Amino acid sequence: MAELNAVEIRQVSKIFGFGEFAFAAVDNTSVSIRQNEFFTLLGPSGCGKTTLLRLIAGFEYPTSGEILLNGENIAAMPPFKRPINTVFQSYALFPHMTVAENIGFGLTMLGKPKQEIKSRVDAMLKLVRMEALAGRRTSQISGGQQQRVALARALAPQPKVLLLDEPLSALDYKLRKDMQIELKRLQAETGITFIFVTHDQEEALTMSDRIAVMSSGKILQVGNPREIYDAPADRFVADFIGETNFLKGRIGSVVNGVADVDTSVAGRISATVPQDFHAEGEVTVVLRPEHATLCPPDQPAACQMSGTLENVVYFGTDTHYHVRLSDGETVFTLREQNKPLQAARFSAGDRVGIALEANAARVLRN
Amino acid sequence: MARAFSIRRQRGFTAIAVACFFALYLPIGVLVFYSFNAGESLASFDGISLRWFAKAFQNQQVIDASIRSLQIASVAAVVATIAATMAALATTRTEPYRGLTLKYAFINQPLMIPEIVTAVALLIFFARIKIWTGYSGLGYLIAAHTAFCIPFAYLPIRARLENMDLTLEKAAADLYATPWNAFRYVTLPLLWPGILAGFMLAFVISLDDVVITEFVKSAGQDTLPTYMLGQIRRSITPEMNAISTLFLLLSIGVVTVFFIVNRKRV
Repeated sequence: MAELNAVEIRQVSKIFGFGEFAFAAVDNTSVSIRQNEFFTLLGPSGCGKTTLLRLIAGFEYPTSGEILLNGENIAAMPPFKRPINTVFQSYALFPHMTVAENIGFGLTMLGKPKQEIKSRVDAMLKLVRMEALAGRRTSQISGGQQQRVALARALAPQPKVLLLDEPLSALDYKLRKDMQIELKRLQAETGITFIFVTHDQEEALTMSDRIAVMSSGKILQVGNPREIYDAPADRFVADFIGETNFLKGRIGSVVNGVADVDTSVAGRISATVPQDFHAEGEVTVVLRPEHATLCPPDQPAACQMSGTLENVVYFGTDTHYHVRLSDGETVFTLREQNKPLQAARFSAGDRVGIALEANAARVLRN
Repeated sequence: MARAFSIRRQRGFTAIAVACFFALYLPIGVLVFYSFNAGESLASFDGISLRWFAKAFQNQQVIDASIRSLQIASVAAVVATIAATMAALATTRTEPYRGLTLKYAFINQPLMIPEIVTAVALLIFFARIKIWTGYSGLGYLIAAHTAFCIPFAYLPIRARLENMDLTLEKAAADLYATPWNAFRYVTLPLLWPGILAGFMLAFVISLDDVVITEFVKSAGQDTLPTYMLGQIRRSITPEMNAISTLFLLLSIGVVTVFFIVNRKRV
């Protein structure tokens, strides 16, 4: 028998307002989250990811559908009965309690014996490396430390599932990077299923076992980071995750999953076709910026495309080039890694060619 | 270099401020000063003495009126604070809806209706009830004081609730606190300074009331302010000043105690 899913969302809708003002924050959505998985809900603000999280936590009740926790329907259960804990975006630490009291709150509410609470709180303080600050008020510790206390407080009652609502968004860049590694470590050590909400695609790609990309209350694609990045299901996912170039073209013959696409700007290029997708007529081809390089325009054999370099943006590790293609409309973005002591090869205004790497192009499901 | 605008550096600021402070405190200063008068009159100061304080402490009527004032204020402030806390919870822990503003107006009715109107209304209303029930105890005064104390207790409690992060109660519910436990362990401790401030305001307002008390009280139910009012109609001796000074000290004492208690919990 297959293992039960940690959380299963079955055809859940959440509708706010009535009549003509009705608005589906979550729209007939289904998704399964596996045991011990780091699962991320990713999408722009207003896509319904936070509402979905609140439905799992119990702060909202679904208008329709079922939410199963280890096979049990909890859709109508109040939050204080659900063995699920949340790390809030604002941390929501209790200001009238010490760090240790905050961490012990859940266990106290569950009526655990004092001795057990104490040893569990000590273990949690150790887990998040906050032993020295146990007696402090939460107003007397830094933002990063508050973050750790919020995590420890949510992990202390050993929930079946931990929900994290954009917990890193208030931290500065360096601290956020550290906490990303910290979160992965905590998940591995505790073996608890994490459901993480973020609008930061880089964060989602680096941390998740699997990602669900959401837009307008619907889940568009579920997959591991590589699948989401390399094989986006549709235009929204391709556009939201990383940078993407879209080229229009007419599809020709398809052999072994590789199509011959006739594009107006790049001539004929080979593009991978998604399995079980029968493409015909007009299609869109996607190309990632790092799968193309600039080449001198006088070598037409090596370059599929040509255009005028509009601007050059230096990013430290790499350089981004924006090229207006020969049709005068499309702007193609590409990215080259910087080498040691390399002088700029091209500057804005130059005529340039663009070479595509093999297998770089992919036909988009529309 | 241009300095930031500061009202303290404007021409005439000091003069206006000093004038205002004089208007506020000079009459009270004079009143307190004459309570130490050794003479019989308020017209001339004949040396320092505590004789009027001694006289006030021996005056049974003053003692009775003071005790009655404290009784009424204590009970009225406690009941009003409980009612105000519940009203504040009910009006802030809800999605805004049509009619909520009207509800605020209803709760704050005593602030808007002229006190004399309420006093006359209560006089007539309670007179009826007295005839029906035959009861003429302190209950009427306590009920009236409770009613007009509610908005004074309500305002600071509501202000405190509105500044409280609602996520905290969500976090408590998330951590297995039943609605009652979330209130008991999170909302109430955080609300406590507001409740204390509301109680203090209600207590002082009740202690101070003349108009409604004068209309509602039965014979022999003088509170300290109505007793003083009655005395002033006859003859004024520095005893009144002494009583006023003691009253002032009591008020300052109450405010100070609550301020200190309030400051300890953040």
